Amino acid sequence: MDFKERILTTMNHEEPDRVPVMGLIMDPATVNQIKGKKPVDFVGMLKTPILKNNIRRLMNTNWFWRKIYNGNFSGALEGAIKLGFDANWVIYQLMKLYKEPESKLGMAFHDIYGRVWELDADDNGNMMVNYSRGLLTTEEQWHDWVEKNAPLFKTSVKNATRFYRELTDQHGDRIFPFCYAAPGIFENSWQPIGFVNFTKFIYQKPEFVKKVIDFQTDLFIKHLDAAMKADLEVVFAGDDLGQKTGPLMRPELVEKLYGDSYRRVAGYVHERNKKLIWHSCGNIYQLLDKFIEWGFDGIITMEPTAGMDLGKVREQVGHKLVLIGNLDVSYLMVRGTQQEIEDAVKMAIKAAAKGGGYILSTCHSHPYVDATRLKWMVDAAIKYGKYPV
Amino acid sequence: MANDILEQLKSSLLDLDMDTTIENVNSIINGDNTITIQEAVDAITEALQVVGKRFQDGDWFLTELVYSGEIAKAAMNLLSPLMAAGTSQQLGTIVVGTVAGDLHDLGKDIFINFARSAVFEVIDLGVDVAKEKFVGAVREHSPLALGMSCLLTVTTGEIGKVIEELKGQGIRDKVKVIIGGACLTEHFSKEVGADAFAPDAVTGTDIIKKWAAS
Repeated sequence: MDFKERILTTMNHEEPDRVPVMGLIMDPATVNQIKGKKPVDFVGMLKTPILKNNIRRLMNTNWFWRKIYNGNFSGALEGAIKLGFDANWVIYQLMKLYKEPESKLGMAFHDIYGRVWELDADDNGNMMVNYSRGLLTTEEQWHDWVEKNAPLFKTSVKNATRFYRELTDQHGDRIFPFCYAAPGIFENSWQPIGFVNFTKFIYQKPEFVKKVIDFQTDLFIKHLDAAMKADLEVVFAGDDLGQKTGPLMRPELVEKLYGDSYRRVAGYVHERNKKLIWHSCGNIYQLLDKFIEWGFDGIITMEPTAGMDLGKVREQVGHKLVLIGNLDVSYLMVRGTQQEIEDAVKMAIKAAAKGGGYILSTCHSHPYVDATRLKWMVDAAIKYGKYPV
Repeated sequence: MANDILEQLKSSLLDLDMDTTIENVNSIINGDNTITIQEAVDAITEALQVVGKRFQDGDWFLTELVYSGEIAKAAMNLLSPLMAAGTSQQLGTIVVGTVAGDLHDLGKDIFINFARSAVFEVIDLGVDVAKEKFVGAVREHSPLALGMSCLLTVTTGEIGKVIEELKGQGIRDKVKVIIGGACLTEHFSKEVGADAFAPDAVTGTDIIKKWAAS
């Protein structure tokens, strides 16, 4: 079987020749490590008075953003191919670099939804970008933002369509690019506003919250459509619905606020004869049955540090949902030994792979995930993942 | 009668009714002094203990934990200025911050709400806190506990650096260290030499209460 047959057979809950392996490679640090390339000290350049304003202007032009953003994910796919992965996710985002006096660098990315992303560099100079706060703490600010950024929403959908299509055309004969429409409706509704403020609005301004969710659902479906135009059989979407000990929100409240949106998303995908994989971090046991009810075909992550046990998930929903993930990125894929990684791969295969329906992968990505350990993971899957398992 | 009003105060908070809670607090403040400010504060603390139990038992979720904390904060903002100095027995001081390189404050802020309502004095160092600032605050405030929050895997190393700095300055045994955050585990806590790991804000407050009692 080739990578594509392996993935699609697994998606049908049937046994392929061996357990497929998916990469979640996207951080420049991991991409550079695989390529053996020195990082571009982008953060260092932003600290240089002469360079910083020119870089900001350049970054904020659409052609340059597309060039570096697409280039990074093209590198991620090449890296994943080199390590032997069958699939890797690709995620489009549009951000602009703004002067931000509160930030350490005096600059930060603002995404099109109203989130601030701080830039920093790791010890080797690789750029790291992390969500820090929302810009839209009041109802008025949210309305102004949505009105002002209408052209950017269109640009983002247009860029995303091109991004997914180009990456699939360039690499799709050697790896399955899982085109991931992100961030999701839940994240896009609360993160620009902030969790505390959004929570207050749920209780104090429910009509405003509904308006936000309806708006984000419509916009999300446009991005999902962009991902689906790559014309692959499986598409990714997601929302981080869990925290360390359980769902962020009472499942009944998630259903009340987001249930119709998620059903609409799944319906949109199925009407086009594709399958939908859903990503959520955190402890999400209490939402697994909801995922089936909403129409998802699979889930990715199952974070072990949030108490997610692959065997238990398989027992609860493995007959309905394809499972992807679960290998730890807090220790195992950062500092684990080859033996520990082999043992973890064997354990995951034993817990979830029988009969098909399981794709081996790490539970997430971050800049300190080590490429050598990713390779060990792939090697172990090839060694121990042959069916029958 | 007095008990009725205090029960109403607790109920309104547990019903997540901000307006009624504030009305109840105002009626206590503007009432005939049959209920003391301290009794009102105690009622809020008791209500938050129920909130904590519900969260730990999995009956309540983060949105409910956050909103009840916000209601308690609004109530305490009215009551605190009226408390006579020295009437409330502080359980101790806690220094809290999010480690260097990490800008997340949600977990830290929920913890602060609960710890303050449990009558701890909390020194909030904010986010992206350098090890020198943590250690300096321990020297300055001699707290019962130092709490470090960390959401990002890439910044977990900062926790060890702070603990090593405390050791280097000979003050590690003067303060209990508690850590919490999405990427952390009990195993990591032991490995790095912290005294405790808290999977959530309520458990963190409970652990420090036990330290205060002992």
